Amino acid sequence: MSVLEVRDLHVRVDDQNEHKEILKGVDLTMKTGEIHAVMGPNGTGKSTLSETIMGNPRYQVTNGDILLDGVSLLDKPVDERARAGLFLAMQYPAEIVGVTNAEFMRAAINARRPDDDPISVRQFIKELDHNLALLDMSEGMAERYLNQGFSGGEKKRNEILQLLMIKPTFAILDEIDSGLDIDAMKVVAKGVNSMRGATFGSLIITHYQRLLDYIKPDVVHVMMGGRVVKSGDADLARKLEDEGYTGLRDELGLDIQLTDEN
Amino acid sequence: MARVKPFTTAAALATFSADRHETAPLAELRQQALAAYPQLPLPTFEKIRYQRWPLFNGDLAPEQAANQTATPTSELATPLTTTDAADQEPAMIQQLDLQAPWVQLSAEAQAQGVVVLDFFQAQREYPELFAKYYGTLAAPALANRLAAFHTAAVNGGLLIYLPAGAKLTAPLTLELTQSGDNGQLYAQHLLLVAGENSEATILATRQTTTAGSASANIVEELILEQGAQLRYTAIDGLKNTTYLARRAYLFADARIDWALGEMNDGDIVTDFNTDLVGKGSQADFKAVAISTGSQFQGITTRLTNYGLHTVANILQHGVILSDATLTFNGVGHIVKGARDSDSQQENRVLMLSRTARGDANPILLIDENDVRAGHAASVGRVNESQMYYLMSRGLSKDLAERLVIRGFLGSVLTEIPVAAARAALTATIERKLIDGQRHRDRAQ
Ligand SMILES: Nc1ncnc2c1ncn2[C@@H]1O[C@H](COP(=O)(O)OP(=O)(O)O)[C@@H](O)[C@H]1O
Ligand SMILES: [Mg+2]
Repeated sequence: MSVLEVRDLHVRVDDQNEHKEILKGVDLTMKTGEIHAVMGPNGTGKSTLSETIMGNPRYQVTNGDILLDGVSLLDKPVDERARAGLFLAMQYPAEIVGVTNAEFMRAAINARRPDDDPISVRQFIKELDHNLALLDMSEGMAERYLNQGFSGGEKKRNEILQLLMIKPTFAILDEIDSGLDIDAMKVVAKGVNSMRGATFGSLIITHYQRLLDYIKPDVVHVMMGGRVVKSGDADLARKLEDEGYTGLRDELGLDIQLTDEN
Repeated sequence: MARVKPFTTAAALATFSADRHETAPLAELRQQALAAYPQLPLPTFEKIRYQRWPLFNGDLAPEQAANQTATPTSELATPLTTTDAADQEPAMIQQLDLQAPWVQLSAEAQAQGVVVLDFFQAQREYPELFAKYYGTLAAPALANRLAAFHTAAVNGGLLIYLPAGAKLTAPLTLELTQSGDNGQLYAQHLLLVAGENSEATILATRQTTTAGSASANIVEELILEQGAQLRYTAIDGLKNTTYLARRAYLFADARIDWALGEMNDGDIVTDFNTDLVGKGSQADFKAVAISTGSQFQGITTRLTNYGLHTVANILQHGVILSDATLTFNGVGHIVKGARDSDSQQENRVLMLSRTARGDANPILLIDENDVRAGHAASVGRVNESQMYYLMSRGLSKDLAERLVIRGFLGSVLTEIPVAAARAALTATIERKLIDGQRHRDRAQ
């Protein structure tokens, strides 16, 4: 069993002229075998949390720690964290001309294996074909340049395809549902559910409860104003859907301005 | 323009010619060039400021006697081993510095009368070829200061002659090595004449063993007589400051397919030029380049359509690491009267660091109406969010970069028709990249 722990995490992002503290003490512990959901209003720091766990150099940790199986990740660059077992399906994946999807995924898989034992072409293609079919993606997608000219929905599916190919220990999915219609969302959920098991944990970040109808979370956290303000089971998500974030805020007596208010 | 002091005296140059038993016309041309070059202007290449480079350094004559016994240089050069035609041994030509070449022709090359000779010997044995083609059509001897300096100083080289109708199924490999650190000017000349309807594939590598202060001024002139078909691959790994002219002249229905890898480590200014003079002639030019460290590679490729129904294509992709510079100029010129001609080009550079400098300039000069022409160009940057994305899947920075670069250059590589050339280029790219990254990573 693996454990990913976020302890009293404070994060700052250096904008052009202001230094904003975005995360103001986030605590969160998850284990393999579990699916956690993080919900929260826009601008509350959900992407900041996921990017910081992954190791995006644009975010500075000013306090607290991130640990994988008790080992701090803070001084490790993004590629090391990835090889240690983390994966982030990004809200805005980069487009890269010249690198094909398939070539990229193979390099990613091999980066986790010893130099003298790369995945065989046959094995790779077998898994690729299987996962493409699972995600309703055409074979041509693998030969296209990485995210280049992909539609919003194609990019999301492609993130999940990478997830299935790389098989990380912990996957953070940042708003993987945004911009997806209901059918596409079901496909994405099918992909994530296929990963479920004792050796896999996931942190699913979403603005809406809808995705959680298809991927049942074990734990739901609500983030507001750069903190986790409440954690609970799947019912918490449903309750939020009914009452909205303002309802929960008022119930908890929090003094937080929500961006989407008014 | 500032006058320059000639690199040697007329008398010393006459002695040099005499020592090598040079023919009278070439010895005279040499003297003419010596007198002319200081006054001639340097050629201008768009956005390439090489004017202050040390391009005229080094001793004319080697310390040892000329024409010493040639020995194979395979310890120095990396031979190109794979060939498309497995049944034929490739013809091998090696030349170290300015020594006479070591030549091992294949059975088919011998049977078809292919000639490969040292520059000085060739002048004596093929005076009519030299009269017709040396410094006349493809690379005019006194065209500018660099060309004239070459004509005055040329101190070694080769003639390759493919008789009319010769058809070589296996490639002719050419390994040209410059020691680099022996203080000797490397003014090497290659005259290649492909007779009517001949066909051949050349796989050339040029390399410098150890970087030094002497300059290189290399001129290759390729004459393709009517109907000749030449596939010319060259991988350049030169380390000294270099002027490299690679110029072809095409008669009717001749065709040249260029595939070049500019993997030099020193500063270089190139003058790649093809004149499509005969009607129906075609030139297809593909190049990849990588600049690393703090080097400057200025690459100008000019294809000129003179004849009717001529087709010219340029495809150049290059990558820049660290503080290096790479400039691609692609010049497509269709002159008046070249009706029903085609000139296309694509020039792209990709920069992998904030301090890299790159340029891709397509220049189309169209003086005729009844033509097709087009160009594409881009200067791109692999930005931090792209690198972050690739690395977020576990790829190291160096691997992520190499993947991006391989992909970027791959679109040119896959278009190269000769498998052996593709393989050789791919291997050289990988080596140059790893060297460049190692160098950078150490510096950081
Ligand atoms: N790279 C960044 N540069 C500047 N500001 C940022 C950056 N990333 C996030 N922010 C700011 O931090 C806050 C939280 O953003 P984010 O983490 O994207 O929230 P969420 O994902 O919950 O919508 C917002 O005010 C946003 O403008
Ligand atoms: Mg977000």
